Amino acid sequence: MTERRSVAIHVPVLARVEGEGALDLRIEQGDIAELRLRIFEPPRFFEKFLEGRHYTEIPDMVARICGICPVAYQVTAAQALEDLFGVELDPWARVMRRVFYCGEWIQSHSLHIHLLAAPDFFGCGNAIELARIAPDEVRRGLRIQGLGNELMDLFGARSVHPVGVRIGGFHGAPSLARILDMRDKLRAALPEAEALIRWAAAIPVPQDDQVFVSVATRHPADYAIERGDIGASDGLRIGAEAFDAHFIERHEPYSTALFSTYHQQPYLVGPLARLNLNHEYLPGAIRALLADIGLVLPSRNLFHSLLARAVEIWLALYEALRLLDGYRVPDSPWVPATPRAGVAIGCTEAPRGLLWHRYEMDDAGCVINARIVPPTSQNQGRIEEDLRLSLLNFGLDHPDDALRLHCEKVIRNYDPCISCATHFLRLNVARA
Amino acid sequence: MSKVRILGIGSPSGDDQAGWLTVDALAAYGVQGEHELAIDKLDRPGARLIGLLEHADWVILVDAMQSGDRPGRIKRFGQDAWPGYTHGLSSHGLGVLDALSLARAFGILPPRLDLYGIEISLACPGDEAGDDIQAAARHLARHIAADLAAASR
Repeated sequence: MTERRSVAIHVPVLARVEGEGALDLRIEQGDIAELRLRIFEPPRFFEKFLEGRHYTEIPDMVARICGICPVAYQVTAAQALEDLFGVELDPWARVMRRVFYCGEWIQSHSLHIHLLAAPDFFGCGNAIELARIAPDEVRRGLRIQGLGNELMDLFGARSVHPVGVRIGGFHGAPSLARILDMRDKLRAALPEAEALIRWAAAIPVPQDDQVFVSVATRHPADYAIERGDIGASDGLRIGAEAFDAHFIERHEPYSTALFSTYHQQPYLVGPLARLNLNHEYLPGAIRALLADIGLVLPSRNLFHSLLARAVEIWLALYEALRLLDGYRVPDSPWVPATPRAGVAIGCTEAPRGLLWHRYEMDDAGCVINARIVPPTSQNQGRIEEDLRLSLLNFGLDHPDDALRLHCEKVIRNYDPCISCATHFLRLNVARA
Repeated sequence: MSKVRILGIGSPSGDDQAGWLTVDALAAYGVQGEHELAIDKLDRPGARLIGLLEHADWVILVDAMQSGDRPGRIKRFGQDAWPGYTHGLSSHGLGVLDALSLARAFGILPPRLDLYGIEISLACPGDEAGDDIQAAARHLARHIAADLAAASR
């Protein structure tokens, strides 16, 4: 008869995730007695910093929340305020916001796949070990990532904490010559992205089947990125202003990041949630490719997250190329805005998932209070639930090191950005 | 004619400008010798650094460092002395040594790579670099200029 172990595993620092957190796992008599994803990075008080600030400062301030997804923060804030102020963007600016956002998806997803997540599946401790056995693939990934950065730089003047967005549009418009050069690069990258999808699809991943609710923005015209309502896989469809009626944030004593629930249950945001909800909006070419590689959507296996990111890289390249076709330099890249008092609410799809902003503004255009709900805090409860289910599926009798690696793989599926959520993994396992 | 690329890495934050100050000083002195020379000032280049190492015969890279030594102290690192890769790559901060280690894994390091560190103290955004850092940058620039001139003889 096999003895039922009682152990405690503590991962004191999670590697290859953004920010600082830890995992405590206590197994008693062969069952999980305690599992806690602890985020202990100090709160950053960004919402408090925004109070009293003029609306013109907000896009540049919120970009500082994250070095990897600043566009998401800028665009969400700008669009929420534009909606409150009754600003109607020029069609040029509306389309270029999506192109700008595509650049961020491309660089963030490629970085996560190649530097953070993929080493797990090749028995490598880090991306440098992976680069020794798959140099062509890692170099391809870095090329794609670099192209995403270039696209951000094109509209943001720089790829880290870009400064291009203003309320009413953009501060400047790229020249036609720069856009034509970018289009050549995007066109050349599409076959590389297809090869990346085939490579990602060939990576053996654990077979995991879990029931969860996917939440993402949805739009009737396209695969939602920078605009749309909030949708859930149980049929919910609401405007951003109704977020609080369905989603609740709460504190847990062991985490400095808030936990979010949807109708009292954890939920998934991010690339797999988006793909699950919006796959019918993918272009025909990519749907044919997904059929060819055998990815059935919606998927209930979180280990398909890496492949989902690869699919969204292809989509973002395709979208940017399509939207830059027939590019013209506008008479003005922005329209004027007049502030008004009220509540500004908006949401978009950051690379890691739904990002929701709310600003109460005074009539001088200054922030009275702000609330920002980032993707990682929304996924935090789902990560704990996934860890519990995935570990039981994996088996608790594995050695501590194997349990630790499996936990880290599960967590990295979510590409958590703890710095955004306050703000990875120390695993502390206790077997009593 | 050998292809030489000189990379000064920094940020607009006090002493962290050490790499930029070095290449500025080198450009001001002028470089003698038969080289096809490219000088770049880079701000936290991340993975972009990898592409800049390719197709060069000789890369000279100058960055700031903090090891607890005296500010202004200059140290040259051989490849075997690169600090071990221990902390894992972060999506927010792909450092110079991470990029160099990836380039080594790809097999694209140049035949000669001179990596210099200038010990710094404070790196506050908007501040000027300290006098000891500015002096160290001028000293290192003269040393690099002499190296380049000697290599042409």
